[in-house]
Amino acid sequence: MDERFSGLGAFILYAITTAMMIFIMAPLLLVMAASVSDSYFVTFPPQGFTLKWYAKVLGDRDFLEAMRLSILLALGTTAGSLLLGVPAAFALVRGNFFGLAAIKGFLLSPLIFPSLVTGLALLQVLTKLGSQDARLNLLIGHIVVTSPYVIRTVVTSLQLVDENLEDAARTLGANRLRTFWRVTLPQIASGVAAGGLFAFMVSFDNYPVTMWLANSEYSPVPLVLMRQLVNVFDPSVPAMSTIIILMAMVGVLLLEKLVGLRRALAA
Amino acid sequence: MTTSDDAVAVIAQPEIRQGSRWRLSLPAGLLAVPLLFFLAYFFFYPAIALLFSSIQTQNSQGIIGRPFTLSHYARLINVDLYARVFWNTLRISVITSALATVLAYPVALVMVKSRPLVTRVITLIVIAPLVVSVVVRGYGWQLILANGPKGMLNWILMTLHITGGPVSILYTEVAVIIGSLHVFFPMMVLPLASALGKIDPNLEDAARMLGAPWWKVFLRVTLPLSMPGFVAGFTLVFSLTAGSFVIPAILGGASAIMLGNLIEQQIFVVYDWPFGAAIAVILVGVVFAVNGFSMWLLEGRRLRRAS
Repeated sequence: MDERFSGLGAFILYAITTAMMIFIMAPLLLVMAASVSDSYFVTFPPQGFTLKWYAKVLGDRDFLEAMRLSILLALGTTAGSLLLGVPAAFALVRGNFFGLAAIKGFLLSPLIFPSLVTGLALLQVLTKLGSQDARLNLLIGHIVVTSPYVIRTVVTSLQLVDENLEDAARTLGANRLRTFWRVTLPQIASGVAAGGLFAFMVSFDNYPVTMWLANSEYSPVPLVLMRQLVNVFDPSVPAMSTIIILMAMVGVLLLEKLVGLRRALAA
Repeated sequence: MTTSDDAVAVIAQPEIRQGSRWRLSLPAGLLAVPLLFFLAYFFFYPAIALLFSSIQTQNSQGIIGRPFTLSHYARLINVDLYARVFWNTLRISVITSALATVLAYPVALVMVKSRPLVTRVITLIVIAPLVVSVVVRGYGWQLILANGPKGMLNWILMTLHITGGPVSILYTEVAVIIGSLHVFFPMMVLPLASALGKIDPNLEDAARMLGAPWWKVFLRVTLPLSMPGFVAGFTLVFSLTAGSFVIPAILGGASAIMLGNLIEQQIFVVYDWPFGAAIAVILVGVVFAVNGFSMWLLEGRRLRRAS
């Protein structure tokens, strides 16, 4: 099978690949190991074994509040970007109008725009508008940065839809909405789900937009963690981090199940 | 050389596009309107407004208005401290992207050409950290690189007697580059793997059968054909590194500040909106320039292929 890699070339390839796998895993594994260390400071090598830092984190009201806010925000963002993104993706694939390419470029442009600047620009405008509710501001900012992910995954899956099936449904008397609901949607379901999952994860982890729009009352998880890094030196910080890592792993496995990782990201 | 490749792609293309009678023109287009309005109002308009504030003046009450001025841009160039942050950002971004390229090629090659199980495992390891918060990953590197004997790297170095005392990497540019490499490495591997996967293996086999050693096959066949993936990956890693805030904040400390951190300082600490906006405009300009250049490179390639 691997006969195309042989000799020195193969050795170098595999050596570098193995080294990079270790490089990628090392910080995450270390954080997880540090989270069960039975010491009052984070040290290397970790000592003993305890779950008391998890108990501390799960009793920490700031962290729990942040968790609640982040999950609600990510759910709202997912709903918002799906509601706006799925129809837009439909227009991009099925539409046939002047300036289609330009509009597609515009809808995807938040992807290449530095999101730090997206957040800053939005803060300025929202301040001028007098929009004081940090939760609403965060929701708007997060939908701006996550909608292109939905567009990309849904456009890809829409391009694979067999339009003959829709024609058949229409010929048999189904109206447009019913055709969409019963024929088109089942075919793009995995793309929509992947887009939604992306939106959720990007929103949950987002820092560069969040840092501008959050305030002291409403701080999502990444901001709270950043504050803890500076102020807290016991292993509760690794414990919080491990909870976040485990949540992310669940997301990745779901994504892999739904559409396959490579396909989801290459879209 | 690539004609056979293109021919296969054309044949493989599903023909569902043709003869579709249910193709809506205007009504389907209208479905994009809500998102268009949303982005126009909350993305496009704010960006333009920010551009305008960068050439205006802020009075003592913090209100931004006339007269128009370019003084904020001049300040960025003339004040040594700010100019240094600009060059730091470019240097860190270029080094990170270059390192990512060199290290991603082997990984992408192994990922594309190995047994399915190996491919799956590597894909999972490469992608999984992508969805872990950058703050967590930066923190992991802080634990590894920590100065003094408490850090994992120093512990290993000293236990193995490679160095006599602890080395100080944390809060330097090197730490920022390592962290950025870790965070953005997948953005290099994925486009490369997708480009490598599209190369017709017969071309490499032909070169090998004609007697080319492995390194020559790579340099003359694989590398040139994977250029689109390289350009896309380099652009992504560069743009993301240039616009980063969290990694330099956690790993760079005061000595490796990047443009993102400077913007944050100007807005949250100094409250100098026009100057913060000017730095943001410069950052966007750099990112757009690199993206434009790479688009031009890819276009040129396509033209050459077509002719």
